[in-house]
Amino acid sequence: MRKQITYFLLSLQQGKNNKMSVTDAAILEGHNDKVWHVAWHPNGKTLASCSSDKTIRIWAKEGEKWVCKTVLDDGHTRTIRSVSWSPCGKYMASASFDATGHENEIKSVAWSSSGSFLATCSRDKSVWVWGVGEDQEYECLSVIPSHTQDVKKVVFHPNENILVSASYDNTINVYKEDYDDDWSVVETLEGHQSTVWSIAFNSRGDRLASCSDDATVRIWQRYLPGNKEGITTKGDNPTWKCVCTLSGLHNRTIYDISWCNLTDDIATACGDDYIRIFREHKNSQGEPIFDLILSVPEAHSEDVNTVSWNPVVPGILASGSDDGTVKIWDFSVLS
Amino acid sequence: MTTVERLDNINPLVFEKAENRITTDSDWDDLIYDPFDAREIFDLIRNINDPEHPLSLEELNVVEESKCEVDDSNSDVSVLFTPTIPHCSMASLIGLSIKLQLLRTLPSRFKVTVKITPGTHASEEAVNKQLADKERVAAALENPHLLQVINRCLNPKLRNRS
Amino acid sequence: MLGGFSSGLKLTDLNDFITPSQECIKPVQIPNKNKTKDKGLIEIEGSSLQPEETYEKAKITLNDCLACSGCITSAEVVLVNQQSLEQFSKVLNENSHLSDEDKSVIVLSVSTQSVLSIAARYNLTPQEGLEKIVGYFKSVGVDYVFDVNFARCFSLIEAQKEFAKRYRNSENDSSLVFPLLASSCPGWVCYAEKTHGSFILPYISKTRSPQQVMGSILKDYWSKKLLLKPNKLYHATLMPCFDKKLEASREEFYNSDFDTNEVDCVITSVEVEQLFEKDGIDVNTIPCMPLDTEFSMCQTLLSHDGSGSGGFAHHVFIYAAKHLFDIEEIDLNWKTLRNNDMLELTLEVNGEKVLRFAIANGFRNIQNLVQKIKRNKCPYHYVEIMACPSGCLNGGAQIRPNDGRTSKELVQYLESIYKQLPKITSQNEQRINELYSEWLENDDNDIQQKLYTTYKEITQNVNPLGIKW
Repeated sequence: MRKQITYFLLSLQQGKNNKMSVTDAAILEGHNDKVWHVAWHPNGKTLASCSSDKTIRIWAKEGEKWVCKTVLDDGHTRTIRSVSWSPCGKYMASASFDATGHENEIKSVAWSSSGSFLATCSRDKSVWVWGVGEDQEYECLSVIPSHTQDVKKVVFHPNENILVSASYDNTINVYKEDYDDDWSVVETLEGHQSTVWSIAFNSRGDRLASCSDDATVRIWQRYLPGNKEGITTKGDNPTWKCVCTLSGLHNRTIYDISWCNLTDDIATACGDDYIRIFREHKNSQGEPIFDLILSVPEAHSEDVNTVSWNPVVPGILASGSDDGTVKIWDFSVLS
Repeated sequence: MTTVERLDNINPLVFEKAENRITTDSDWDDLIYDPFDAREIFDLIRNINDPEHPLSLEELNVVEESKCEVDDSNSDVSVLFTPTIPHCSMASLIGLSIKLQLLRTLPSRFKVTVKITPGTHASEEAVNKQLADKERVAAALENPHLLQVINRCLNPKLRNRS
Repeated sequence: MLGGFSSGLKLTDLNDFITPSQECIKPVQIPNKNKTKDKGLIEIEGSSLQPEETYEKAKITLNDCLACSGCITSAEVVLVNQQSLEQFSKVLNENSHLSDEDKSVIVLSVSTQSVLSIAARYNLTPQEGLEKIVGYFKSVGVDYVFDVNFARCFSLIEAQKEFAKRYRNSENDSSLVFPLLASSCPGWVCYAEKTHGSFILPYISKTRSPQQVMGSILKDYWSKKLLLKPNKLYHATLMPCFDKKLEASREEFYNSDFDTNEVDCVITSVEVEQLFEKDGIDVNTIPCMPLDTEFSMCQTLLSHDGSGSGGFAHHVFIYAAKHLFDIEEIDLNWKTLRNNDMLELTLEVNGEKVLRFAIANGFRNIQNLVQKIKRNKCPYHYVEIMACPSGCLNGGAQIRPNDGRTSKELVQYLESIYKQLPKITSQNEQRINELYSEWLENDDNDIQQKLYTTYKEITQNVNPLGIKW
């Protein structure tokens, strides 16, 4: 274990040598308060960002320049915390502290890969799953009071009807669709020592990365029933096990994590103003080892709240910060 | 010393206020960079009013200069505050006031940590976690009722007017 | 312990981590030392790092909790002290030591749902379960045990009348809105009052729930017959849900003249199980005793047709078809909608859907229903709403399976047993008609007062010092 940590510190040093200059990023200015979340359109050409200024901005390239195409400012009366595009790209869902349905601030919203479900989570400790009703309206399918504290993030599995939530209660819950349209918790992942802020699946959906206020990243591996590693599973359900903890590399709360479905690299957004990029060690056998391949200090001038890999163009990363800016980074040189 | 005659069933101890900061010539010299020091942080928060008593946090010994720390080069500010009683229900509100005051007055590069002095509150860990959660803080500051109370704490003149 | 509540109530609890003593926003009053009694008051204690300092403990009643938009489920602490089996046992014990003329008459009204839950837990037939419950409680000092079905007949009759009246008068009175929403589930009512307030209240049926009708019968009618003051008739109920404790504590059901609630104490299925476990009671050794018949349908355990929650939608539908459209031959096939907890039944006359009824159980369906009403897109005339998925047979305080069955399997089993019980064929049974004439004198004002209730909006507290953030 010690060896691993030393190794990571070394690669951190290396990362510092790779320091990129801020001019490498396109800076998207327009929001006049904290930017909480950014989300790429499935076509990879458009980006949505949301902010404490109660607006959503839609950004796209004009020639070589990123410009703000639209400002959506009439939907919400409070901070907009999260945005999510439907897989078909026709709809966008946004979650705001002004809360509809939930008792309280909504923290996150996510579409399922099939586009048939939407999940929201809130400070009221519950996760709600919605479906498209007969009249094309969203109908609440399930209200799951699954956490003991507020729920920070919901994410669907990339190709199955599995939902995952992260909470202030330090845990991650895994849900699946029950009979009768209901959803229920099948497993609770414990390990983080403080609030779990965000979670991200890899493209195959057999791994999950989580980031926390405890300044660590954990990688969870899925084991199916009858797996050759001999990990016990419960009934027909797979089980998730933490196979890697990245500690000592972040100096503050890690607010967001994004796992690239093209390069398999992991990016983190941290309260120490850094963006960091991790890649699985090629020769890792058994439990995986992740190297810190790049650190970007002062990626923003304040906390970095969100990072998101472009789903189409490898190496393009969008980030948003308390400093009110959105940045688009080109890390394609890394590959 | 101010005397208190208030409805609250607990009579808080009232402490002596600190002297004003002694300014030096270099303080006024724009060519010399003065890093933020603990006293400056203390000065920013000492006059915050208690939500319930017409007394400042300094007079109630909730904040002390010795419990303010600043690392200017790393843009780090840390404040410990001491609730007057171990199950003071106002602890998270006081913490929020201190945090907001520092966020409003310090340059945005600073990372501000506000915590309860270890061992002085029954829900210390919970309150610390709440204060450290910027999403919770942001949501709280959008609550007009809460913001009104905090603004009164931060600006005692507003309270007198009401 | 929180499990005893319905899910809707749990959601309204925003008490993140602060214990009740710290967050309760009820203004503290300086207690008067010579105050005659503190009945129904409980103490809330917080952990203290300074045991040498003792302050007066703040006291709050359940009614304070109900009137507050704050932490409804923090009222759990209050409930446990004020409305619990321990409290009931204490009353029984104290009563047994009083002289005959000072003794209260102690009544327990049992719900069919609780009986079935307890019978299933101890592998008894429903009838055995009922008789064991009667036997046990009589052995510890209860004087009479009645069957809540008796009171439900009144609730159903009034729900039917209320609906038919609204349907007839709605053309000329725009304040009469649809759907009429059943109100026998206190979890739903509490959620509606706190979350949707004045908007939703006009939709809620004012008919009292069976529990509160029973309270009315016993405290208003029977106490007079027995020449007792209402506060000398102690009335407890055995219910499938913790939310019923909240209902019993509502100020609408408090008689200030005699300082008594119509239901003094609500105990639940799961508490009976806990008591049997704690006291090591072997259910086999409990003698079977029959139900008292003054306010029971008969000595046999019966149920009403329709849902396991008491069949409100079923009965109102049949009544409305007959009395509004003169149709007696109707197809009572409930159609399952999006899930098993959302059912629909319609009556068509000349191709027009003249009656559209629904059963909506569980919070998710309540949520959708309320949203539909708000958007003016709700097509129903009447909806039977229960906060718990599967309704009252799956009440929050029913006994959890302990034999490897899943909760869902147990509920399905209880539903099948409930359906097999002999049915109450007519509400207009002789004894009930007698009460209508003798007690209520068939007078609308009396009926209104004794079989109906009111609701009120719980407004957000504006004590900013109490805001949980």
